[in-house]
Amino acid sequence: MLIDTSTVGLIQVEEGTKILPPNVIITTFDKIINWGRLSSIWPTTFGLACCAIEMMAAGAAHYDFDRFGIIFRGSPRQSDCLIVAGTVTKKMAPVVRRVYDQIPEPRYVVAMGSCACTGGIFRTYNTVQGCDTFLPVDVYVPGCPPRPETLIEGMMKLQEKIRKEQARWSPWR
Amino acid sequence: MPGTYLPSEYLPVLIFILIAAAFGLGALLLGMIFRPKKPYHEKLMPYESGITPKGEPRYRFSIRFYVIAMLFVVFDVEAIFIYPWAVVFDKIGLYAFIEMVIFIVILFVGYIYAWRKEAFQWD
Amino acid sequence: MAVVEVRISLPYKGKDPTEIAEKIKEKFPDEVVDVTNFRDQVSVIVKKGRIVDICRYLHDDPLLLFDHLQDLCGVDYHAKKDPRFEVVYNLYSIRHHHKIRIRAQVPENDPNIRTVTAIWVGANWHERECFDMFGIVFKGHPDLRRILLPEDWEGHPLRKDYPLKGPEPEKDWHGFIEVLNRSKELKEYEWEE
Repeated sequence: MLIDTSTVGLIQVEEGTKILPPNVIITTFDKIINWGRLSSIWPTTFGLACCAIEMMAAGAAHYDFDRFGIIFRGSPRQSDCLIVAGTVTKKMAPVVRRVYDQIPEPRYVVAMGSCACTGGIFRTYNTVQGCDTFLPVDVYVPGCPPRPETLIEGMMKLQEKIRKEQARWSPWR
Repeated sequence: MPGTYLPSEYLPVLIFILIAAAFGLGALLLGMIFRPKKPYHEKLMPYESGITPKGEPRYRFSIRFYVIAMLFVVFDVEAIFIYPWAVVFDKIGLYAFIEMVIFIVILFVGYIYAWRKEAFQWD
Repeated sequence: MAVVEVRISLPYKGKDPTEIAEKIKEKFPDEVVDVTNFRDQVSVIVKKGRIVDICRYLHDDPLLLFDHLQDLCGVDYHAKKDPRFEVVYNLYSIRHHHKIRIRAQVPENDPNIRTVTAIWVGANWHERECFDMFGIVFKGHPDLRRILLPEDWEGHPLRKDYPLKGPEPEKDWHGFIEVLNRSKELKEYEWEE
């Protein structure tokens, strides 16, 4: 070992992370990679219905999304999250699935609003009863529509989920 | 002696180039090793807002680009020939001046031809 | 101190709708089935045969001048009355500020009616929606196809005998069944924790 850890003043900050004051941090790959991913979740704007307005409000000035590192990208090729905001109809379902397929890994799905979670109040001929019938959803954010604070809490729950990942996206599992 | 000249003061530049290349290529290489590799048909399709792509992705370029580029090369080479002549102009006398005028007149005829054939029109 | 003359004028109301209904009745006596009046909303129920002539008269007559088709929709009176369908035209005159409603009866065994897109161009998409939801065919329409549902959907949902929850999952729209099957196949590409 290059550093004799018994004599040097290493401070254990949390489980698995040590700091050599003032500015050397020793930690594991998982923590670094997860920290990088959760601090910069870039969603594809996929507003379908009224929940899109609340998503825009959450991204606008008062409830800022940018301070969490969440920047909305226009193309799925440049993003790593899909926020399904609004009612998914059967006519739109292949499009949603295709956009999800074109997001490169690591990718996450947030079902925002009652209609995306379970079909909402619409139990009709053209409404898909929840986007989890054809998408793997990570976080469900209920509400009709959910307030921007609720959506921000949903994204923070997604950040918690990413923080606990252990080589989920590794090619050698 | 000529032939054994080694630019040893430029060694830091070489090291710098190698480190910069290592940064760029190394990032790509590490990405290739560590990234997940599970491609399937829909993931590789070109993105067109989620629908099946319609039409060809590559379209034909206008021929005007080729014409403009060729004319540029010809007149640029002409300018390159005029530069050294201008530098030694006062030492070479009247004969060289008349030769250069003939050279420019020949290319000028070509210029008038291109003009009349509408090579400079874009549309 | 200047004296300013102020002229107050009431808004021009146009003809009384019952008068308009009377005019239609005297011009097309065989076509008008009924005239109803509910809280000053007058509807004229007509047969579907000469609907284009009636609408052309309402559009062109200089005292009526109904140049704004505010809405065109369909109604299904399943088992409540015969004929089963009605096509409702809500007309408004921008010049004279009066309104009328024309209801054309469409029977179930012959669900077609002539189009009014030659008179009001805005009827184009409304008639497509009426066809999509009720199955009423508009003869002479320039582009009659489904507008809200996918083009190869089966059935006309706003008819009263169409199930509210939609078709059975096995008999659903083929595009959606393909999405479900494909997502099942692609489950092997998903990344679980």
